[in-house]
Amino acid sequence: MNGTQLQRAGLAIAAFAALAGGFFGLIGRGPLEMLQAIVMAAAGSRYAVGESLLRATPILLCALATLVPARLGLVSVGAEGQLYFGALVGTGALLLAPAPSLQLPVVLLGGLVGGAVWALLPALLRVVADVNETISTLMLNYVASLLVTWLVYGPWKSPQSQGWPASIEFPDSARLPLLGDSRVHAGLLVALVMGIVLHLLFTRSRWGLVLDVLRSNPRLAPLAGLSIARQVLLTMAIGGALAGLAGIAETASVQGRLQAAFANGAGLSGFLVAWLAGSRVLPAMALALLVGGLLAAGDGLQMMTSVPSSAVLVVQGLMFVALLGAGGWRSEVARG
Amino acid sequence: MADTSLLQGLPASALRSAAPLLLVLLGECLTQRVGRINLGVEGQMLVGAVAGYGVTALSGEPWLGMAAGAAAAALLSAVYALLTVAARADQFASGLAVWMLGLGASAYAGSGLVGLRIEGFAVGAAGLTPTLWLAVALVPLVALWLYGTRTGLAWRAVGESPGAARAAGITPWRVIVAGIAAGGLLSGLGGAALSIDHTRSWAEGMTAGRGLTAVGLVIVARWNPWLTLPAALLFGLAEALSLRLQAGGSAVPAHLLHTLPYIASLAVFAVTCARLEGGGGPAALRAVFAR
Amino acid sequence: MHLQLVGLSKRFGNVPAVDDATLEIRPGEVLALLGENGAGKSTLMKLLYGVHTPDAGRIEIDGQARSIPSPCRAMALGLGMVFQQFSLVPALSVRENLALAQPSAPWWIGRRASRLSALDAHVQTLAPGIDPDARVDQLPVGQMQLVELAKVLLRDARCVIFDEPSAVLTPSEAARLWALIRGLTARGLAVVLISHKLADVRACADRVAVMRAGHVVAQAPAHDASDAQIVEWMVGRTPPTVRAPRVRPAGAAIRLELRGVSAGSARGVDLAVRAGEVLGVAGVSGSGQTELAEAIAGALPLTAGEVILDGHRLRAPHLAAGPTPQLAYIAPEPLRNAVAPDLSLALNLALKRIRDLPFMPSRAQLAERAAPLIARFGVRPADPQARAGQLSGGNLQKLVAARELADARAAVVACYPTMGLDVSATAQVYEALFGLARSGSAVLWISEDLDDLLQHAHRIAVMFDGRVIALFDAAAATSAGVGACMAGRPEAVAA
Repeated sequence: MNGTQLQRAGLAIAAFAALAGGFFGLIGRGPLEMLQAIVMAAAGSRYAVGESLLRATPILLCALATLVPARLGLVSVGAEGQLYFGALVGTGALLLAPAPSLQLPVVLLGGLVGGAVWALLPALLRVVADVNETISTLMLNYVASLLVTWLVYGPWKSPQSQGWPASIEFPDSARLPLLGDSRVHAGLLVALVMGIVLHLLFTRSRWGLVLDVLRSNPRLAPLAGLSIARQVLLTMAIGGALAGLAGIAETASVQGRLQAAFANGAGLSGFLVAWLAGSRVLPAMALALLVGGLLAAGDGLQMMTSVPSSAVLVVQGLMFVALLGAGGWRSEVARG
Repeated sequence: MADTSLLQGLPASALRSAAPLLLVLLGECLTQRVGRINLGVEGQMLVGAVAGYGVTALSGEPWLGMAAGAAAAALLSAVYALLTVAARADQFASGLAVWMLGLGASAYAGSGLVGLRIEGFAVGAAGLTPTLWLAVALVPLVALWLYGTRTGLAWRAVGESPGAARAAGITPWRVIVAGIAAGGLLSGLGGAALSIDHTRSWAEGMTAGRGLTAVGLVIVARWNPWLTLPAALLFGLAEALSLRLQAGGSAVPAHLLHTLPYIASLAVFAVTCARLEGGGGPAALRAVFAR
Repeated sequence: MHLQLVGLSKRFGNVPAVDDATLEIRPGEVLALLGENGAGKSTLMKLLYGVHTPDAGRIEIDGQARSIPSPCRAMALGLGMVFQQFSLVPALSVRENLALAQPSAPWWIGRRASRLSALDAHVQTLAPGIDPDARVDQLPVGQMQLVELAKVLLRDARCVIFDEPSAVLTPSEAARLWALIRGLTARGLAVVLISHKLADVRACADRVAVMRAGHVVAQAPAHDASDAQIVEWMVGRTPPTVRAPRVRPAGAAIRLELRGVSAGSARGVDLAVRAGEVLGVAGVSGSGQTELAEAIAGALPLTAGEVILDGHRLRAPHLAAGPTPQLAYIAPEPLRNAVAPDLSLALNLALKRIRDLPFMPSRAQLAERAAPLIARFGVRPADPQARAGQLSGGNLQKLVAARELADARAAVVACYPTMGLDVSATAQVYEALFGLARSGSAVLWISEDLDDLLQHAHRIAVMFDGRVIALFDAAAATSAGVGACMAGRPEAVAA
């Protein structure tokens, strides 16, 4: 990191410390005590680390889902909707699926395709009618979530789920393999590997250059013989597939069944992680793991300190506000 | 027989559903008129809901609760103002960060309030309550103010062209902050109306996307305060129908109906984007949309 | 109102835009403030108008030193400025724009607002027949400028500053403006006219002040200063001469042909450019020239007609637009249209070849290919890894020239290639452009500078309202004749 980036990071950390400290003071707790409790709850035991990684996986995938279109200059907040639709299609694939040996690949494929399709909708709107993708993905998020709710409460409701509607359980043959003896599933590995691959593509390949050119000045497309439409569709589809994977992984391997509103804010966190990482893969990966740990620490924190678990949601919000503010302020000063 | 019971009292029910949204819609309309899009209204609405509910439960005064809700949301909107005006951070990211903060703060503050019941407002004629009258009365007030007064003109000018406004002696950032604050106050009133009046309870994340719907419906209303009333009624109708269908165990899926406002917003936005660059609306906002 | 600007200085970052400038503005007089682009004229006036605050120096109004921290204060003191990019709000009506500007406007301005009729009357005196309810963006540019002026005069300005007013006007609209300005000075107002055109000076200035590199180098009565003297003040040395292109050989092959080309607001354009010929295109901005250039370059799809290059069909309504190595395109506003500001110079120079790069291109190789081009065209800073967005206007255009004009091309389309450039950068661009013409390329050159066109082009086409309405042989063309065509009233058409 160079000088300005260090300054910016320093300012952000200072701002966050001030805000978080202020919040802790407001609820009558010492900042160090709380920090220690959060760290313990996030990484203090093998179980805790596993839970943190588990929480971080969909956030990381959603961050990547935001990041890929962002390399082209698109601002997509649709990761959550793509996550839901991927889960929807993946579950549907299971319900139609044949032999147990085919179940996992079919389910995963369903997730990828579902997510990609849900991303291609706003992409097509952008390409054909110049519809701003932020608004369209935002609206479609709710549509996807409501579609899942409808299916889970209606046609796909499992007779076994009485009080809390959900789909039938995913059989073991449809679940991703687990890592070690934790609950962490192979989706994390996929996310990390995809991240590295994307990083290399963005920074070293011709495709990365093409994205850089079009992001920097879309008007250059005809001059350079490039097609913006093609890149919009491609980046959104890739991003959507990644978010769809997050959705189906969460459904199949973590929750074991499709439920309503299961995303738990992964799309939102993913977006902010990607944004604050400046659309760079490596910082996004680090930040996603950090945020995952923070959010997973909620229940443990409540047990240890009897502070409600939603406190970590506040801390997450303060963190993003601090990072955004510091980043913005630093650029403002640099502009003079 | 099922039909008449479905329709009976539907207008009142639709109006009750529409009232909180109408307030947020007016607020976000004003914010977008000064050229800012605030996705954080969802979080602001939540904060307004929890503050309103809490104060009403403590004091027994629903109007005090409304005021508290407005104040709390205005405070949160100040964060958005600080981020986008002072720190010049991106509008979308700032809005989402504020949403996240509002989500967390309201969940935290409300963790002790879940399950409490309050009295709320007295129900008046035709099953309608004061918050609805407040919301409906604000529509012409805001519209006449925006189009007919000099300050309203200044706000519109800033939303169209901050540079030209500056040349006319207006300080754009003051107007923008005022527009954000107005959005904050109104979204807080909307959230408080939701928890104090509509549901008379508090639950985490209870706004269920109403704030974001408002952002979309501003586009349907073409940034015109007069049109916020029919736009909010569209939503109210969809929600009222949806609840009745759910209760009646009807074949028509309630949740699918619930997607109507979002699809409608997207459809209107898409059509206008195809015809006008950036979808029409104030020029400063169009610049954000038509990158 | 008598104004004295004494020793004003202002720097932006490391660049001194205004450097110890001293200027006197007298009532009842038109002062023309001249200088090349970048000399500091606009900045100096913006210091006076409160848009910027000076780092040093003082401003005296009627003998009293004043501080002017904002345009609000400047307006209160009786100063008014008619900007080059107007400060009107396009989506609001004429009346609303005027109401916005008037501090004493009533609180209620909706329907049946009584005191607004005075505003309507006021604007009618300057622009008779204008509709006060019309949205400003629906007005023709000349009328917009008059509304802008009306706005300024509403506040009882005693000194009015015009920033490059004739840039967007037809010659007849400009004549009307000069008459209006003389009317203002007759009423005792002081007028400052910022311009870089000598013609403006001769039209209505009483005194002339020239700025160069942020400094006011001369102030003199207009009739005491000859054109040559003024140019020397502006440039600081005798201007470099540009080699005029060779007289074109008659009967050379047609290389670039436009048949019935329609795109955007351009309609039915028929033009043919021969090898070695420079065909200039004149016209008031917005007459369709930019769209025509974009259509030939492939940035705008054609709605009708075809573009033929060396006998091959290059562009047609349903033809897929691909990159065209044989055609060089100098886009207007290079920062906006021709470069990727966040990327390096090396990448920008390789833009047209990007599809041919290997899967994992080597940055070192790109830099190697870029270095000689940067050196040859004198781009500063001469670092292939520098960000293109940091370059000044002149260097950006040289970068674009390096990319487009370095190799021989069949044809060149240059659209406002020297707008905003100083004299030396302009000379360099012309050198490259006409050099290609000399070696046999066909050059289609769209320019806002009629004098340059008359001096360098072989033929001049005039576009008005999207069509080519006249085609002159440069030798037979006169400024008046071409100007009349630009305004849509061709007196004489010569082939």
